[in-house]
Amino acid sequence: MLTLANPLGLLALLGIPAVLAIHFLQRKAVQLPVSTLFLLERTQRDAATGRKFDRIISSVPLWMQLIAVLLLTWFLSEPRYQKAASVQRIALVMDSSASMSVFKKAALDRLSDELPKLQNSAASVEYTVLEATAGRPRLYSGTSLAELKARLENWHPSEGLTDPTQALRLARSLVSRDGSVIYVTDTPVASLPFDAKQIAVGESIPNVGFTGVTFSHEEGALVWRALVRNYSSQEQDRTWSIQTANGGSEPRPLHLAAGALVTLQAVFPDDAKNVRVVLSDDRFALDNILPLVKPLPKPLSLFSVTSPAYSELAEKLVASLDGITLSDDASSADLSIIAYDPLDPVLPGGHAIVFVEDSTSAGSYLKGGILAEAHPLLDGLNWQSLLVRETIQLERASTDKVLLWQETRPLIFLREKGGKQQLCFNFDLRLSNAASQPAFIVLLHRFAESIRDKKIAPVSANLETSQPISLALAPGLPVITAATDPAGNALPPEAFPAQQSAISTPGFLTISQNNIPLLTAAVHFADTREADFSACAESDSVPATAAASIERNTIPDPLWQVWLLLLLAALLVSWRFTTQKASSSTTERIVS
Amino acid sequence: MTREELQQCHGRAMAAAARLRLPLRSRVWRGQAGEFTGGGTGSSMDFQDHRAYSPGDDPRHINWQAYARTGSYTMKLYREEVRPVVDVILDASDSMFFDPLKAARVAELFYFLAESSLAAGASLALHAARGDASLTLDPAALRSHQWLEAARGLKAKDPTLPPELSRLPLRPNAIRVFLSDLLFNGEPDSILRHLGQRHGTLILMAPFLASEARPEWSGNYEFIDAEAGTRHAHRIEPAILRRYQEAYVNHFTLWKTSAFRHQTAFARIPAEEELVSALFREALPVKALEPTT
Repeated sequence: MLTLANPLGLLALLGIPAVLAIHFLQRKAVQLPVSTLFLLERTQRDAATGRKFDRIISSVPLWMQLIAVLLLTWFLSEPRYQKAASVQRIALVMDSSASMSVFKKAALDRLSDELPKLQNSAASVEYTVLEATAGRPRLYSGTSLAELKARLENWHPSEGLTDPTQALRLARSLVSRDGSVIYVTDTPVASLPFDAKQIAVGESIPNVGFTGVTFSHEEGALVWRALVRNYSSQEQDRTWSIQTANGGSEPRPLHLAAGALVTLQAVFPDDAKNVRVVLSDDRFALDNILPLVKPLPKPLSLFSVTSPAYSELAEKLVASLDGITLSDDASSADLSIIAYDPLDPVLPGGHAIVFVEDSTSAGSYLKGGILAEAHPLLDGLNWQSLLVRETIQLERASTDKVLLWQETRPLIFLREKGGKQQLCFNFDLRLSNAASQPAFIVLLHRFAESIRDKKIAPVSANLETSQPISLALAPGLPVITAATDPAGNALPPEAFPAQQSAISTPGFLTISQNNIPLLTAAVHFADTREADFSACAESDSVPATAAASIERNTIPDPLWQVWLLLLLAALLVSWRFTTQKASSSTTERIVS
Repeated sequence: MTREELQQCHGRAMAAAARLRLPLRSRVWRGQAGEFTGGGTGSSMDFQDHRAYSPGDDPRHINWQAYARTGSYTMKLYREEVRPVVDVILDASDSMFFDPLKAARVAELFYFLAESSLAAGASLALHAARGDASLTLDPAALRSHQWLEAARGLKAKDPTLPPELSRLPLRPNAIRVFLSDLLFNGEPDSILRHLGQRHGTLILMAPFLASEARPEWSGNYEFIDAEAGTRHAHRIEPAILRRYQEAYVNHFTLWKTSAFRHQTAFARIPAEEELVSALFREALPVKALEPTT
């Protein structure tokens, strides 16, 4: 198959009308006295209705120059012949961010136009389609453009902002150095790594959508507050309404100034299913709906009656944590606050926060530098202002993990025993300023929440799409995941717990084990980076890729020397005849 | 043409006239006494007939031997010798002179016709016609070479029209030689009929150029009409050139046919060839000329 590496060379064909025009212009009128004009005019009267094309006079220079123009066109357009076994490998990396859902059809149309051009130069073509999100399976791998398009028809981008670097690296390794890597996105990128080209199909569209939701209790009622943002630079008008399985409210108008944030709030309807707040439609539909469930954290019971010295601390902890209750039964409590008595050094089992209770004397302040070990519980906490007096110490086991040191004296360590964790403060809280230290409060909260996370119990939450989920499950029992769209229609089963994340589209998610719903969640889209289309635009850098691939998959015209000789011969013959004509015309006698 | 060129043409014409002349011997003449046999009886040495004497006859022609035998007067009749009459009509249109080669050939033919006629003792009259204008030239202007200036001085209202011959004082029983390239629009029959009136014997001498018969035109031309001086833009292509050549051939075929019908000798004399050989090749076969010996 013949491919023109430089199609612009065909513009040289304009030389044909130029040559014809020059021939007409060169043959300017010769003034000649004649005596037989009456015969000539009689002849031309007879031929007045003759053929127009008789006006083009055939001459050797004319034909030679036309042949020269054709040969020159052939040279300039750089004809190349296809290599017999050439394969053009094309890897498409599809931007899987949610904003691409708006431009998917445009992307398919553009690919339908661009990919056949890339195919022209090679005997065969191999397509590989990847998602920009790392770790996703290939969307397509094969040689059929129709199948590729069919696969992409069923592809639904819904991720957040994604970095395509890893996918581009993988794509480049798949197609090797000679293949083409094309990143299909809606937001042009200034430069792409791994010699990748891009097709950007986006455009700046006005979008209004939810950006998040919070809940609060006001006057005994649960109130939700949703933020609505206008991402565009123009004023927008929408309507909003609350819809449940039982019906919905009347749509209410909502006016948003350019770039405005508006808060919608209402009382959460009791005993209602599939509650969602709905904005009127725009092109980006993912953030137009806000599914809601009544948030209910896992219950956490706290036992702290062993020592009255820390009852106040227990009360503060109960007040500051959601879903926590005081318990009188140490065996059934999820978390205990225990004061260490050296006279009774045996500590109870179970999750606990252990303090030293030293009422004998007040020792001197400990000296030396405070050093925090790297541990999630202490991550980012500042203990340098902690002042601790010397007290009796806990008996430390070899398996205890010290979290905080002062010189060589452990101040806080974590003990694990039988799957239970005990956070041990190796000093008397009352003989220190720890209670006023933010790090101390945060540490207690982190520890209490870690205990709550490990508890297998039902929880209701409002999640964002694809949000990671850390859910404690009973080992050995099957996990059943059910997801619906906001209207309650069942969605295909999501892979769980392999992905450990919420569904990627707005809806409702239920994860059950042993017929107990461990997680009841409403999932909404709230990625403001994806909902903002101001940076979307069109861009195309594929033609450069096409030119390079043509050179790779084709060979130059092997007869170019022959054509060059023919071109020179045509020019020489033309020149020869032209000079002959000129010399003969100078000696031409005047015709009578 | 300069005087020197005319003198050269005259010299070549004189050389041709030594070998060729108009066909004076091939017809019977009437007219003044001269060197050629007339149609009537005269005083030449050629016996023609006998008849009875009638009063008033010249007694010198009484056949006395017959009188001795018969006793009656019998007259011997002899063929008369008359002087031939030649009218040369020159087409003085510009197409005859615009090309130097053709002008030279016209001058040569004109000199030849005049000198050969004079050499034969003919009564020569020279006429020139251009469009509707005509002129009778003084035979003395022939050798003073002023005839050309006089002929070219003719002013016609429309020079593209055929020469108006009706005003020419053509003489009866004359050989009328029409020297013209015949390149004008006109009915050959009417011209030939007029020139053949009053027992005239007509000869057509038509000088021509090869470039007229077979031009090598190709491309754009601004043709200048030799007669009117007007300019005409034409683009000549092979098909048009072919049709032109056909029209040229048809034009002279028409003249040739008409000349044959009027028993007129029609000779086309090429301008490029040497005069004597051209006349021998073109004029002699059609009996437009005859050898002097």
